[in-house]
Amino acid sequence: MAAEGYALSRRSLLRGAGLIGLGGLVSGCGSAFASGVAGTGPPPNTLSYWNLLGGGDGTRMQAMQDAYQKQHPNVALDAVVLAWGNPYYTKVSLATLGQRPPDVAISHLTRASILAQAGLLEPLNENELTPYGLTGDHFTPTAWNMAHTNGTLYAIPLDTHPLVMYYNTDICKKAGLLGKDGSLKNLDDPAALTDALTAAKKVTGAYGGVVSINNDTATQWRFFSTLYYQLGGSVLEDDGKTIVLDDAKAEKVLSLIQNLVKQGLIPTSVDYPGAITTFVTGKAGFYFEGDWEITTYETAKTPFSMTAFPNVFGGRYAVQADSHSFVLPKDPSRTDATRKQIFVFIRSLLGQSSTWAQGGHIPAWLPFQKSAAYDKLKPASNYKHVANYVRYDDRAWYSGSGSDFENIMGFAIGAVSAGQMAPVAAIADMRSKLVQYANTPSPV
Amino acid sequence: MSTIAVPRRRAQVRAEGRTIDWRARYFNWFCGSVLLVFAAIWVIPLLWAVDTSLKPDAVIAAHPTDWWSGSWTFHAYTELFSIGNIQTWYLNSFVIATLSAVFAVVACSMAAFAIARTQFTGRRIIYGLIAAGLLIPPQVLIVPQFQEFNAAHLLNTYWVQVLPAVAVPIAVIIFVAFFTGIPASLAEAARVDGASWWHIYRRIYMPLSKPAISAVFIFTFVWKWNDFLWPLLTLTNTRIMTLPVGLSQVSSAFGIQYAEIMASAVLGALPLILVFLLFQRQIVEGIATTGIK
Amino acid sequence: MSTQTVTVDTGTRVRPATTGRRKRRGENRAGWGLATPFLVFYVLFLIGPTVYGIVMSFFNSSLQHSGLGGFAGPDNYTEALTSSDFWQSMWHTVLFTLLTTPPLVALALMLAIFTDRLSRGRWFYRLVFFAPYVIPSAAMALIWVWLYTPEIGLWDKWLTAIGISSPPNWLADPNWAMISVALATVWWTLGFNFVLYLAGLQEIPRELYEAASVDGASRWHQLRRITIPLLNRTTALVLVLQIIASLKIFDQIFLMTSGGPNYSTRPLLEYVYDIGFTDFRTGYAAAASMLYFLVILAVSLVWFFASRRPQRGA
Repeated sequence: MAAEGYALSRRSLLRGAGLIGLGGLVSGCGSAFASGVAGTGPPPNTLSYWNLLGGGDGTRMQAMQDAYQKQHPNVALDAVVLAWGNPYYTKVSLATLGQRPPDVAISHLTRASILAQAGLLEPLNENELTPYGLTGDHFTPTAWNMAHTNGTLYAIPLDTHPLVMYYNTDICKKAGLLGKDGSLKNLDDPAALTDALTAAKKVTGAYGGVVSINNDTATQWRFFSTLYYQLGGSVLEDDGKTIVLDDAKAEKVLSLIQNLVKQGLIPTSVDYPGAITTFVTGKAGFYFEGDWEITTYETAKTPFSMTAFPNVFGGRYAVQADSHSFVLPKDPSRTDATRKQIFVFIRSLLGQSSTWAQGGHIPAWLPFQKSAAYDKLKPASNYKHVANYVRYDDRAWYSGSGSDFENIMGFAIGAVSAGQMAPVAAIADMRSKLVQYANTPSPV
Repeated sequence: MSTIAVPRRRAQVRAEGRTIDWRARYFNWFCGSVLLVFAAIWVIPLLWAVDTSLKPDAVIAAHPTDWWSGSWTFHAYTELFSIGNIQTWYLNSFVIATLSAVFAVVACSMAAFAIARTQFTGRRIIYGLIAAGLLIPPQVLIVPQFQEFNAAHLLNTYWVQVLPAVAVPIAVIIFVAFFTGIPASLAEAARVDGASWWHIYRRIYMPLSKPAISAVFIFTFVWKWNDFLWPLLTLTNTRIMTLPVGLSQVSSAFGIQYAEIMASAVLGALPLILVFLLFQRQIVEGIATTGIK
Repeated sequence: MSTQTVTVDTGTRVRPATTGRRKRRGENRAGWGLATPFLVFYVLFLIGPTVYGIVMSFFNSSLQHSGLGGFAGPDNYTEALTSSDFWQSMWHTVLFTLLTTPPLVALALMLAIFTDRLSRGRWFYRLVFFAPYVIPSAAMALIWVWLYTPEIGLWDKWLTAIGISSPPNWLADPNWAMISVALATVWWTLGFNFVLYLAGLQEIPRELYEAASVDGASRWHQLRRITIPLLNRTTALVLVLQIIASLKIFDQIFLMTSGGPNYSTRPLLEYVYDIGFTDFRTGYAAAASMLYFLVILAVSLVWFFASRRPQRGA
């Protein structure tokens, strides 16, 4: 009975507290509640924006968002950062199917084309973009091309981020690899590259260069594919239905990688953060990765510079890259006013390409890319010319940044780098796994 | 009970000698210490989360594994609340869990009463059908259910969470077991007096079934609050997400701001720990009785 | 009077037809009326999707196209049964079950037995062990990923402090990832079994222990001969609930390792998620789900028939 009374007073206390709390929450989140019950949309003058930019990129994007918000105080920008990779694209797809997608989202160009084929993106009418200056002649041609799927424009490019070569200026100087003007000598030859790495290794006492391997299929794929593309190879054709992997070319590249590892010029087991640490602590003179780690090394005050990945196999220059772009997920209830706001937002961010370029990416916005201000950004503008020579991942429903395709290829390449598989076996592994995808009818 | 037993044992032991008493004491001490060690281990993760959440990020970066901090702060929590999402997620989780629990209790108890006390034709078959549903784990249905709700345009609403949570076979079985425990004479007497079945259900049987009601309510509430996979698929708009799904996206936004990440984990854990503290008895009894059944 | 009407309903008709039939019809209507709300939800959201899922598994359905898509016949099933990804995910689910079930049963039992011996303070241990069970998987995952963080996580700090210079790379090493998730899961869900066992232990009459100790039986003997056998029913329940719950694993692995490193921990449910919602192939995902359903069904039925045996014997 005493227990009953205790329980009752506890219950009524909870009930009271619950009602107060609920009242507070409902009044504060009235729109969310209404949306949840009746499926109504968000309040007007909000702009929801999703991206997958974390780390240094994230900080820069945040700064750009803040600048936009200051200029447009009447628009409530609701920016959400999600984890990089497949999960991001799954979430965007599910949100679009769930009829409540973000108004604008970042997408890699390689993935945008798949989303477009799946009917999840709104096609962009080039006429409606003209008032905002978002016309084809203002963007890097390769990126603008890739932004089209089956002839229709679906994305507005923000940047191009290729694989680049970072080098420690102190170590390279000691290794005699720098010319009188301080620029790195030409490494456009397998022997030249190997020699340079050997010289660097003599200076560091540890390694010549470093590439991230463990759990990092993306970097492994970028490294391999750049060299493979320089040999003129392709992997997929026919929207992924045909595999045109050239065994001889692939073997040539994998053998080069295998040799570098065998000679101890690059480590055989290192993960993404470990590779950065290796470069920062001067245990390697060269670091190969996408352009986005520039901020990391600037913050760590490493004496470094960046340049285009060398044309190791000669021939027509090629380098692996992808691009960040803005896409509009399909939303039948989106108003014209919101569309206008989206384009204003995109134009505003593109106008801040200077901030974005400081993060290492080559801005796709030509007015800035061709400006003197960009040229002054060193070392970020050292490799700007490669923007016109980049190769995106071959188109397929299972391809693109962070995709199963990159995982399959990266896993096999990583096995060679780790000394776990011979090149021939790796190629067979790639082929056998790709075949399963190639034979599956496309679900989009 | 054991306290009564011990003196008797000790009295007998005194007659037989002191060795057994010493062994019992030692064993008790052994149990107690082992329990204490495990309890200490068990408590560490939550304590560590709270500890980390109250330290400034700079301190965490410098001394990540020190328990003590010179400068405790609630900054991580205030930052989370200022971003504004966490309150919305609380609301969404609360509404969904409550609606699910209420609907489940009502629908399942009604059906269970019909099966247990009204002799409607086909009730055995229906009961069998419902029991068979026990064998279907909801995870198996995520693909067809998604298509179904997509076609009905109910994605990103509360209903996509609440509607599948109403028809829970185990709840029906719990209620049936409970109702059959209530004497049928109660129902019959009421029938003689001209009461409708609804009246018997609502005014006689339900008030007597508080343990079953609270068990089903609490289980459904906790289940829907902690549900992850289904909301992950169907609540993709950040304003409509439940707490677990929202939390799972926080870490990518905060990167290595561990204080904020731990603060969000603590805030995520807090509501149900409070519920547990307030309803310990009912929860534990609920588990015990349904387990024994 | 009414009782006789009830028995007449199931047996021979003796009562005057009118009263009986009217009463029966009224009762029928009331019964069906009360049961209908539940049945509507049941058919729409449980039975319906099950049937739809089975049908879908024979088509090449896609996530963003409505309708069933092209007919695939048994192709989805053959693909699943010959897919190494499918079998590996199945294996990961089974491995997880094998890793978590023994500790979750044995450890819970041991701790419950110890706690049961206490004359006071039981509430404290119940709180400590059960509190983790009520927190959402997302909160648990955030906390344990932080604990497992290389070099700056608490576990690494403590291991290096006691002399283990290179602690395992908890979540990034394929050899350790599943074990790490299993450890975190034991912390998270032990409380439920613990409470079940405590309840079962309290059902055992104390007189049995008194009688045994009068006969000179040691504690250990009492444990083996009285406690554990009388807990058989509870243990059977704990075991089957644990196995079925473990087979449905998704949350922790998705949150802590994303199925990695390199898909080495991806359980079957996450495979279904990847295929159905990332690759858009809902028909194939439905087929994989159905195969998965068969596995769970098999386990449930085994327990169902096994638990009936003692009743029939008794």
